[in-house]
Amino acid sequence: MKRNYSGCAICDSTWGNLWEDVEGERMFFCCDVCLTQFRRLVDRVKRETGWSAIEALEIEGDRRGRRCLAASGEARFRFRIAFNSLGEIRAFERLAVG
Amino acid sequence: MTQCPACRLPLGEGDYLALAIHLVDRADASDSPHVRWLNQNLARQRTDPADLVGGLRKVYDLGSGTIKDWIKSKFISKFFGANPHPFVVALQHPSRSTLLGYVVEHQHFLRQWVRSCSFIMARTDQPSVVLYELDNLNTEFGGFGPSRVSHYELLLRMGESLDLARSQVLATPPLPATRAALEEWNEIATREHWVAVLAAMHSLELIANRNLVDVGASVRYFDPAILRGSEITDASKNFLREGYEADVGHSDEALALVAQFGTRPDLLEEVQSTFLRSIDLFDDYLLARLERATQFEA
Ligand SMILES: [Zn+2]
Ligand SMILES: [Zn+2]
Repeated sequence: MKRNYSGCAICDSTWGNLWEDVEGERMFFCCDVCLTQFRRLVDRVKRETGWSAIEALEIEGDRRGRRCLAASGEARFRFRIAFNSLGEIRAFERLAVG
Repeated sequence: MTQCPACRLPLGEGDYLALAIHLVDRADASDSPHVRWLNQNLARQRTDPADLVGGLRKVYDLGSGTIKDWIKSKFISKFFGANPHPFVVALQHPSRSTLLGYVVEHQHFLRQWVRSCSFIMARTDQPSVVLYELDNLNTEFGGFGPSRVSHYELLLRMGESLDLARSQVLATPPLPATRAALEEWNEIATREHWVAVLAAMHSLELIANRNLVDVGASVRYFDPAILRGSEITDASKNFLREGYEADVGHSDEALALVAQFGTRPDLLEEVQSTFLRSIDLFDDYLLARLERATQFEA
């Protein structure tokens, strides 16, 4: 998955030392809450789009809420996502692509 | 002594190097509360402990102000900064679901509140603190007879005015995120010095302190215009107005007690660390209110 973050896959921090397989790829996370967030994000995007895989993901924002752009082939999916303190999704909104 | 602001581990007084070593050590183990604290308070890029000492000293430094000023400024930057807490944003002009999320989670918060404040009373040797807590607990939970009911009762009435029966509110368990925060507040209340508990709990009443806008808050807890007009139910106005009027006094008075009894240098750092942990828990808890609110969205 092509991503705009080089640190933790969801928050870009370089603290922590958690490496986990997500979607067949070994990814770095700063903590287990971020890992949960990322897994929930991926599952939700796949469910909303029907895609079998996310090829690229761009994230902007912070713990208050994130705006993301996901891509699979030519298809694009834009959304806003926010999590609770345990890493579960508490808000999700599709945004217009453009 | 100082304490870790993420897990309250006791460390030597003023020993910021030991604290930095501990924080980095726990962060290297990917421990979420420590990583979070570092990310939000010091740096998002991993560095060595020695590079964090200056930053830690700065976090704890009261500068030319008092502990009251320090607590207020930390609280403001966390909840009322340029990017205010999402619950505060939602409460400016609240929807029915936001208010119901507030009702359902907050009844649990208030019940823990009674426990936490009771521990302060049980452990303090200061009559002025006991009197303060008695008054606070009556305002929040006990009430002063039918003409002046408690904040807890006003909360339940707000729920009823929005068609949520109190029996249903009382029968709903807290969300896991709320439960986790309440459990840790309970642990703080039973284990930490009573002055630290006083600071940890009553600083949270700053959330409704309308005077924070005079010292740098970007917004109030809610737009006071909603107390006029017909945007929200009368019972909701009564609930919000009560906090709006009581919590200026509650938070300012408690912080004055913290300043009076908590300035011994060894105790001061304990007060600061316990407060820092408590506002992280409060951040989590306020999000849980929003999480609950989504269940009431059509
Ligand atoms: Zn992270
Ligand atoms: Zn710690």
